[in-house]
Amino acid sequence: MTAQSGARRKWLDRYGSRLVQVAFVAAILLLWHLATTRWGVNKILLPSPLSVWQQFVDVIRKGEFLADLQITLMELAVAFVVATVSGTVVGYVISRSPYLIKVFEPLFAGIYSIPIILFLPLYVLFFGLGPASKIALGITMSFFPVVLSTIAGFGNVDRVLVTAAKSMGASDWQLFRHVLVPAALPVVLSGLRMGFTIALLSIIGSETIASLAGLGHRIVNLAENMDMARMFAYIVFVIIIAVFLNTAVSALDARGKRQR
Amino acid sequence: MKRYLLRHPGVARLGVILLMLIGWEIAARWFIDPMFISPPSRVLMALGSVFATPNVPAALRLTFFELAVAFALAVIIGVVLGLAVGLSKFGNKTFMPIVLLLYGIPQITILPIFILYFGIGPAAKIAFGVTHGMFPIIMAVVAGVQNIKPILLTSARSMGASNWQILRHVVYPNMIPSLFSGMRLGMTGVLLGVLLAELYVSTGGIGYFTSMFTQNFDPTKLLGLVGILAAMAIALNELVRRGETHFARWRD
Amino acid sequence: MTQAATNTAISVRNVSHSFGEADEARHVKALLDTSLDVTRGELLCLIGPSGCGKSTLLNVMGGLIAPTTGTVMVGDKPVHGPMPNDIAFIFQENALFPWSTIHENMILGMSFQGVPKAERADRAQRALEAVGLDEFAGHYPSQLSGGMRQRAALARALSLETNILLMDEPFGALDEQTRMVLGEDLSVLLSRSKKTIVFVTHSLGEAVFLADRVAVFSARPGTIKEIITVDEPHPRKSAFMTSARFHQQRDQLYDLLHDEIRKSMAQSGKPKRAYEDQSSRAGPAA
Repeated sequence: MTAQSGARRKWLDRYGSRLVQVAFVAAILLLWHLATTRWGVNKILLPSPLSVWQQFVDVIRKGEFLADLQITLMELAVAFVVATVSGTVVGYVISRSPYLIKVFEPLFAGIYSIPIILFLPLYVLFFGLGPASKIALGITMSFFPVVLSTIAGFGNVDRVLVTAAKSMGASDWQLFRHVLVPAALPVVLSGLRMGFTIALLSIIGSETIASLAGLGHRIVNLAENMDMARMFAYIVFVIIIAVFLNTAVSALDARGKRQR
Repeated sequence: MKRYLLRHPGVARLGVILLMLIGWEIAARWFIDPMFISPPSRVLMALGSVFATPNVPAALRLTFFELAVAFALAVIIGVVLGLAVGLSKFGNKTFMPIVLLLYGIPQITILPIFILYFGIGPAAKIAFGVTHGMFPIIMAVVAGVQNIKPILLTSARSMGASNWQILRHVVYPNMIPSLFSGMRLGMTGVLLGVLLAELYVSTGGIGYFTSMFTQNFDPTKLLGLVGILAAMAIALNELVRRGETHFARWRD
Repeated sequence: MTQAATNTAISVRNVSHSFGEADEARHVKALLDTSLDVTRGELLCLIGPSGCGKSTLLNVMGGLIAPTTGTVMVGDKPVHGPMPNDIAFIFQENALFPWSTIHENMILGMSFQGVPKAERADRAQRALEAVGLDEFAGHYPSQLSGGMRQRAALARALSLETNILLMDEPFGALDEQTRMVLGEDLSVLLSRSKKTIVFVTHSLGEAVFLADRVAVFSARPGTIKEIITVDEPHPRKSAFMTSARFHQQRDQLYDLLHDEIRKSMAQSGKPKRAYEDQSSRAGPAA
């Protein structure tokens, strides 16, 4: 191989993927644009990217999203905090006894494998159409990944580490603070991250299916009014919010794992 | 007694479930308004009347059909895309970030678009199930073809294996356990997608009955219907899990 | 063709190898201008400090790595890639396919190599008998112990019926006692088969016990520093291991290696001074 072709290959290695990725996204946008402007796809089915962009700018500038965003974030925060506290406490208590792990871990794993979204009608019946039913569903759905990962994290701490700490005279608190927590943290944090994603998903989902307010409700509302461009704009907005929140939580997760 | 329970955590687990049911029974019978919740005994007795409700069996059958078709499509699409992305280094580097990005989107936000495009019939529900189920399968296939121990490839090459033989006898069997764990996650996704769409469309199918039972404050039938669907989900999950254990039995 | 050439199974000429491109941070010179002739029917051990390139040389010989410069000949054929009909490998890690039984592993190996279907079962049976694993043909690798797995890997290599075996620390992951027994078995097996074997190891005892010749490597970038001969017929018995000659040759090897191992260790930090315990417990005795 000549030096020149080697250099070209290295360049392709480094930038080729980015190039194709950008081209891929650009091609989709272009197809979307052509479909709506040239090929006459019905506006009700697919609004043009430009009109979606205009609506998006309008939504942001008027700040009309604030009320819905507030409700959704409030539901999310309450659900995630309750699920985190209850999940880690219950999980830690269970993880202290191999027997309790054997009793409860399969039980939780079994319930976790049921699509809990099915309970939504029950929750609506019980808690009504307001935020309470969304929060309840969010808690139910995110409790399980949190509790399961807490059990896994604290239940699988390497026995050698515990023995070594005890041989150096660590107290119970020191053992917890300096051995159990740092050893379990990566697994527990992954569970919290997953719990967060699931809480977000179930809250927007329940808002979509049965609710009076929130971002999910807004999208359905626009769909029912056939206000397609604005609906697309809201979908883009919600996706941005969701990706932002998930990225932030992933970053916190990575940071927590580094600093343990 | 105590020693017996200590030796058989499974029995203790059943005990826990039983206690929960008894607690529910007591709470529902004497403490909570029967408009909102119904004791498990009554739900069990009412299962017959749920099935006797006109069109409920048809709706359940349709949901099962949607789940089966969506799962099959999710597996096919997931395997094809997974192989396309996973088999080349370039494909993996280029398209994996796009797959991850799409997987990270809360798909529920685009459910109204699915209904708009595919109508309120089974097509929308199947499509929504497929998009939920295929991503875990793509990721599992990619992981499965990428996580081969390099020594196995080297060893096969040293014995003269051709590219096709390596694909058929090394890459493929190595992928199988990963594929099945992906299928388990895919089944979870398909259940979520199909049931979300079913619940969303309240003018037909399961969604019609859940919203009708809710509006009539009929928790007995609602719990019965939800219970039947949950049993269906558990059975499907169990089926895939069995497949996973069977095909991964060579793992230590 | 000269007499020497026909007696040479593998000839390595001026081979150097580097990993990574010259301008990259991970660039490592593994092997420097190495030449070596492996005689037909001998067992040659490569020994040296870790990271000295002995495994790299083995992979170059077998065509699994194309060297940066230099050539390798097997018989009169230049090596450009794997040569399944001439060379079989045994690796340090367990390289059996975990999803296949031991029997299926052997059949698969032979199908890769191109053995006619009708011959495969018979050859597999004979190879498994030779290593004493015929009763375990239906087991999966995960159901066997580490020693049994390496014996199965040996059987798979034997079933390919190549003239050359290249073994990369095949007993490296096993405990001392298992290695000793497997070493004896290997010696017996080889005395019957007349195969040419190149064997990488980091165990001095294993090298002296098994090898006809031992090639000692220098620290990285590795090259062959010296070759010593062990004049003891195969099959070797455990009595050889307790003989004075065994110890003398082992010590000779140790002297050759010691400086190189120190040099190689120095590349990754070395002790500055002895630790002095100042606790009270050290006091009263003084």
